[in-house]
Amino acid sequence: MLELVIFSTLNGVLYGMLLFLLASGLTLIFSMMGVLNFAHASFYMLGAYFGFQISQWLDFWVALFVAPVCVGLVGAAVERWGLRTVHKWGHVPELLFTFGLAFVIEEMVQMIWGKLPVDYRVPKLLDFPAFELFGTTYPAFRMFMLLISVAIFLVLLLVLTRSRIGLIIQAALTHPNMVAMLGHNVPKVFMMVFGFGSGLAGLAGVIAGPALVTQPSMAHVLGPILFVVVVFGGLGSLSGAFIASLMIGLIQTFAIAINYSIGDLLTSVGMARPVQGMLSDLWQVTVAQVGPVVPYLMLVLILIFRPTGLMGTRES
Amino acid sequence: MSDTTLAATRGNPALDLLRRYGIWVIALVVMLVLPKIFTSGAALTTMCLMGIMIVFSLAYNMLLGQTGMLSFGHAVYYGLGGFLAVHAMNVIAAGKLPIPLPVVPLVGGLMGLTFGFIFGAVSTRRAGTVFAMISLGLGELIASLSLILRGFFGGEEGITANRTKMLTLWGVRFGPQIEVYYLIASWCFVCMIAMYAFTRTPLGRMCNAVRDNPERAEFVGYSTQMVRFITFCISGFFAGIAGGLAAINFELMNAVNISGAQSGSVLLMAYIGGIGHFMGPVLGAVLVVLLQVFLSDITGAWMLYFGLIFIMMVMFAPGGMAGLIMLHLPLWQRGTLLQVVPAYGVMLVPALMGVAGAVALIETAHHQLVKTATEGPAMTLFGIAYTSNSMLPWIVALVLIGGGLWLGRLWGPRMAGAYSDAAHGKDLGKEVSK
Amino acid sequence: MTALGLHDVHKSFGITPIIRGVSLEIGKGERHAIIGPNGAGKSTLFHLISGRFPLSEGHISLNGEDITGLKPYQINRRGLSRSFQVTNIFPKMTVFENVRCGVLWHLGYRYSFWHNTRKLKDANDRAMAVLQQIGLGDRAMLPASFLTYAEQRALEIGITIAGGAEVVMLDEPTAGMSRSETAHFVSLIRKVTEGRTLIMVEHDMGVVFDLADRISVLVYGQIIACDTPTNIRNSKAVQEAYLGQAMEAEH
Repeated sequence: MLELVIFSTLNGVLYGMLLFLLASGLTLIFSMMGVLNFAHASFYMLGAYFGFQISQWLDFWVALFVAPVCVGLVGAAVERWGLRTVHKWGHVPELLFTFGLAFVIEEMVQMIWGKLPVDYRVPKLLDFPAFELFGTTYPAFRMFMLLISVAIFLVLLLVLTRSRIGLIIQAALTHPNMVAMLGHNVPKVFMMVFGFGSGLAGLAGVIAGPALVTQPSMAHVLGPILFVVVVFGGLGSLSGAFIASLMIGLIQTFAIAINYSIGDLLTSVGMARPVQGMLSDLWQVTVAQVGPVVPYLMLVLILIFRPTGLMGTRES
Repeated sequence: MSDTTLAATRGNPALDLLRRYGIWVIALVVMLVLPKIFTSGAALTTMCLMGIMIVFSLAYNMLLGQTGMLSFGHAVYYGLGGFLAVHAMNVIAAGKLPIPLPVVPLVGGLMGLTFGFIFGAVSTRRAGTVFAMISLGLGELIASLSLILRGFFGGEEGITANRTKMLTLWGVRFGPQIEVYYLIASWCFVCMIAMYAFTRTPLGRMCNAVRDNPERAEFVGYSTQMVRFITFCISGFFAGIAGGLAAINFELMNAVNISGAQSGSVLLMAYIGGIGHFMGPVLGAVLVVLLQVFLSDITGAWMLYFGLIFIMMVMFAPGGMAGLIMLHLPLWQRGTLLQVVPAYGVMLVPALMGVAGAVALIETAHHQLVKTATEGPAMTLFGIAYTSNSMLPWIVALVLIGGGLWLGRLWGPRMAGAYSDAAHGKDLGKEVSK
Repeated sequence: MTALGLHDVHKSFGITPIIRGVSLEIGKGERHAIIGPNGAGKSTLFHLISGRFPLSEGHISLNGEDITGLKPYQINRRGLSRSFQVTNIFPKMTVFENVRCGVLWHLGYRYSFWHNTRKLKDANDRAMAVLQQIGLGDRAMLPASFLTYAEQRALEIGITIAGGAEVVMLDEPTAGMSRSETAHFVSLIRKVTEGRTLIMVEHDMGVVFDLADRISVLVYGQIIACDTPTNIRNSKAVQEAYLGQAMEAEH
């Protein structure tokens, strides 16, 4: 049991920190530009594929630095030649544009790298167990992922709280119209914010690719959960996104590890488990199977009880 | 489509009737005659699918186009309606319920309504971006559940039914596709009229008010949340009917019908057709189904074309096809539509260049990346045979795209000028184009 | 008989107090103007009364009923209707439909999806009558965004009064208008608010002294005087706090 708790906690925190790498960029983009970027998880996927391709050609360590920059450039280009044109039509077309973009990126990735998962391997240097506990080993690469995401988190925290740019961003989070007031070149700021956010997502992709599976559906699987994170944490709140990322990371990881169903619970307290009827599956489903559903349940619950999200102040 | 309360009191009453109901008569005639013209089995299947999607995308547009609610999870109501309809068909076939088949879509509609009521109560508390996110979350929730609750959703295979084992009504057994076509067409026609009528009711008008200016709507006595909620329920009802029709048509419902992909495709249909006009989603449903059927036959990269068309629409024609048509209605009324033909004709050159280049690029890339390994690099496009691993076709494609863009930029203003001349008259047109 | 009563109303944004204890009684059929320097909280007070912002403290009553904490639509249904300082109409709908939106709830059509608006004779007639009254009869079928600024201001008032509210609140109805337009507008306001309670925020002192039965002077979130136009004009305190500059600016 202790073993399960320790490993699940580690994995949960790791997953949560990865989510936060994505959610922080998404929150930044949303807060400053008002665009909820549907294609954010697609940039994460691009990061994984770029990382894979570059480590095929050169080396993982080169990919670690180059791939996020490439993704960032793609993001900036998308903002410059796509989003900026749509901006004048309003927020709904912007959202739809990113929705279409996610679709197109997925199709292109499928065309270039195929529909099957690619063989994106953990670099040799980190292909060893970091430690052993109760007879189970924990891979060093996962520790490395944790390290990177925590490091990025700390850097972000420092930049946001200690630098001039950070102060401007913080102001823009609460007062989106501020950026223009300060006399900055707004289109350029938008392009940089979008590029930076995409780059962060790309970085998450590069380091998550070898540990998880690099395949064309990875964006589609993660995207909705990402939205749950930012809405659950409260739109526009970085600290909310952080808490929500960790919560969802932990809850999902623990759910997968627990193999009990409501039926088991009923039997254990001496009640008969219903086996008849169309919805009888409901009693047989284990917590592990429900894992993927939990974030969405959380979303619905928080919207009922606290419509602005955990730390959110903005209505829309 | 503007309110014609005043117009109703003037002019020839017969002409007025024609103007008001003419379009419906035409629609009815077209629906009746179509299967006589396109008699092949494939055509019939396509038209059945169109009918279903017209109902679904119109239901969807009650939210997006009329009330300003962007939903990423409307397949939930379509899918649940369909699943309940399939189960209902099985129950009926087992002789437990004396319901004739033509009524089954109503079962789907009631299911859509019920879940529209439940989920609407949660999601319509918020508007705008947050509403969109909740709809996405609910959509994913149900899509994930559909894989878990195998009893109701049938797992990967889905649930099947047999529509011919029903109670027969007036001797019609709905075996042949043509009988199903007329069933779908009737439902489609009735639903179209019902949904159009909805736009003319006090609630329907307030939907537009809430879309345009929610704050002001609150200050004339309307709860925007309640307007959104009721509309959401009604939209769920019609989506459920579409699902029920799908159940009858396919005799099968599976997880795909309730997935995010289905939600995305209805959004695409409504938007490409034009969300600002009632008939837009109808156009969109017809066009998208046609594209799905034909493009998927011609090319393996059809989904990519689909996404690109959608992005182009969002970027350059946010009014969709209906918007483009409506833009030219004033020209038609002024009798100046022919004036723009030369300028548009000139623009056809860069447009065709761009499209041909893009198609060549995508097809060559698709062949090189996907098919070369198994079929070799030889391929044929536009009747020209070449190999996808040589440089020339790539260069030609890129030159075509670049040239198309360049010419388009160069000649674009002239086309805009011709349009505004035709729309506002020559002198005023010059003023406007300045 | 009191139409609208404010009892020790407070409002703060964060730690900044904007309204610092306003109490006011406005009688039925009274034309009441609220004046004061920029930033005194006039518009905030309007937002508080009409339910756009929640109160921090105090309560508000309409025709003797407590309306504190109600939603804007609930307050509107109880017979209080307001216009906005920045034109706030339905730009894509026709002028006629704009006004009809203001009528529908109050004729009992609520959320009906079983009436055909084309056949709602009472609603359509009333909307047309209001349009005639505000002089936009011949503009009825135009999209509202096609109107001139002054016409949009008139439409704003049309939407506000269309529902037949007993208490009408106008937020700077003549803001941004020329002198001749203003004169025309004053008579329009007088005409359409006949027999109703009128509360208005206005910067144009000519309009205020022309229309109002009583005037409240709001300075830094507090009412420093509330009296008839003549007494206000002669009040030393008001002169010092506000009216001095305002009258000079007029002439």
